[in-house]
Amino acid sequence: MTVSKNTPLLPSAFNALSDLVAGWALTDSTARLEKRLTTPAEEIKAFYDRMLPRAPEALAFLAERRLGALTREEEALLKLMLSLAEMGPAIEWYGTGTYPDAFDARRFPLVVTLPDNQAQGVAA
Amino acid sequence: MNERASRTPKVTPANLTLKHPELGTGPVPARPYWDPAWYARELDAIFKRAWLCVGRVEQARSPGDFFLKKLPTFDLSVLVARGKDGELRAFHNVCKHRGNHVELRAAGHCVGFTCPFHGWTYGLDGKLAAVPDEKGFHELDKKKLGLTRLPLDVWEGFIFINLNPEPHQTLKEFLGEHGADLEGYAFHLGTAIFEYEGVINTNWKCLVDSFCETYHVPVLHRHSIKDTLAGPENPHGRLIDIRLKGPHRTQSVWGNMNYVPNPVQGLAFQYAPGPSVTSGVVDERSVLPKGLNQTRAPNWSIDVTAFFPNWIIVMGSGMYFTHQMWPLAANKVVWQMRGYLRPATNAAQRFGQENSMVELRDAVLEDCNTLERIQASLDQGLINEFIYHDHELALRHQYYVVKQWVEDYERSTRK
Repeated sequence: MTVSKNTPLLPSAFNALSDLVAGWALTDSTARLEKRLTTPAEEIKAFYDRMLPRAPEALAFLAERRLGALTREEEALLKLMLSLAEMGPAIEWYGTGTYPDAFDARRFPLVVTLPDNQAQGVAA
Repeated sequence: MNERASRTPKVTPANLTLKHPELGTGPVPARPYWDPAWYARELDAIFKRAWLCVGRVEQARSPGDFFLKKLPTFDLSVLVARGKDGELRAFHNVCKHRGNHVELRAAGHCVGFTCPFHGWTYGLDGKLAAVPDEKGFHELDKKKLGLTRLPLDVWEGFIFINLNPEPHQTLKEFLGEHGADLEGYAFHLGTAIFEYEGVINTNWKCLVDSFCETYHVPVLHRHSIKDTLAGPENPHGRLIDIRLKGPHRTQSVWGNMNYVPNPVQGLAFQYAPGPSVTSGVVDERSVLPKGLNQTRAPNWSIDVTAFFPNWIIVMGSGMYFTHQMWPLAANKVVWQMRGYLRPATNAAQRFGQENSMVELRDAVLEDCNTLERIQASLDQGLINEFIYHDHELALRHQYYVVKQWVEDYERSTRK
């Protein structure tokens, strides 16, 4: 799908983060881990530093919205936040995407995944 | 005692092992952690006789629902189905004609199972219902050719099977006091499920042990959970309590109530649909069963219950996850880690869930290179015994329980 330069990628309040969508709004949890393992530490830190100041506002925005009923732009914002959830420990615990003596996380993949944007049933 | 001292959480003294004199205090032999001959004895005495968890009732909620569970240790496929009568049954997923698997889908809903080889069809109750060109067979007693059933029972919504057609204990007897004391925990509320799976080059018991002591937390987990499960008041990761009940064991884990979360982590705690395991937050609404944080310590974070032989539940006040270990050899194990989160009711909570999944994965993977190095040392014959800290009592207990099960079984089969 071609997206014209003028098509908003994110809800308007978050337009300033639009350039992050192409690289950081990813398919699923497995893709986010792969991004973390293959991205240089300084790029992860740059993403973290751009996202963190806007994160409380983004979460307040998303808290008003239901999974499975998001617009394309809202879903892109959620996916940026899910990348922040993956990159958070990279920066806050290790300072990098991978580290000396890190076990290869690809050897312990998700075999049952939580969908990014799908209503979650409650217990019967 | 002044007010300040009374508010300081006490650290449990190193006096837990002496409460169990039958376990001794000396070193424990390392042979059972590498010897292939001993491993073969464990399979017969333990894994073919103990009740094994294969799933939850929510995976087969309605009549016609089914799911498969692989048991990698035996390369077995177990088929669990809910019949029209509402009863859950477990079968070997093996056609009585030529041995193909009758169901290949991981889960689903159906009225019966048709073998994809020649089309033999079985009901949800396992009875052989139809055989194409039945007249072409010389002698066929369909009544005797149902799917082979496995004993099945349910505890707190968890489905267990037994590979022994006539188990020497009921599930209730097997889970004993430990099972009874955990009844009432809100297991059914964790409906947002994720699971990681991988093969680790370690003995299955070493992987169990990995989750049964926190002495290693301040050192091995220095980058991650050190400041949540240890802290200035508990610098060496002492446990609150260890409870041994039959073959099972529980650790109540100390939590640093003054822990200040990192920025992203803090937002994740705020937007998690239930208390996150690493948050140390206790959900005041949840009523904890007797067996959880049994000493009712105020600085409690999680309990880790290891149900013998291969199933561990890690429980906080509002989120839990399980580990299951399926040995492939004396030095190789399939490890399944399954998380049961409260469902997200809005899109921001999905962020809290994701961070929970990621932090859990990151923290547990910190153990794995160490586990594989230990196994290499064991396999090279460089370790003859293990020396256990008082708060590594659960590891000592596992050794003795395994030994006891093997020896008791072999004694009972000796004519």
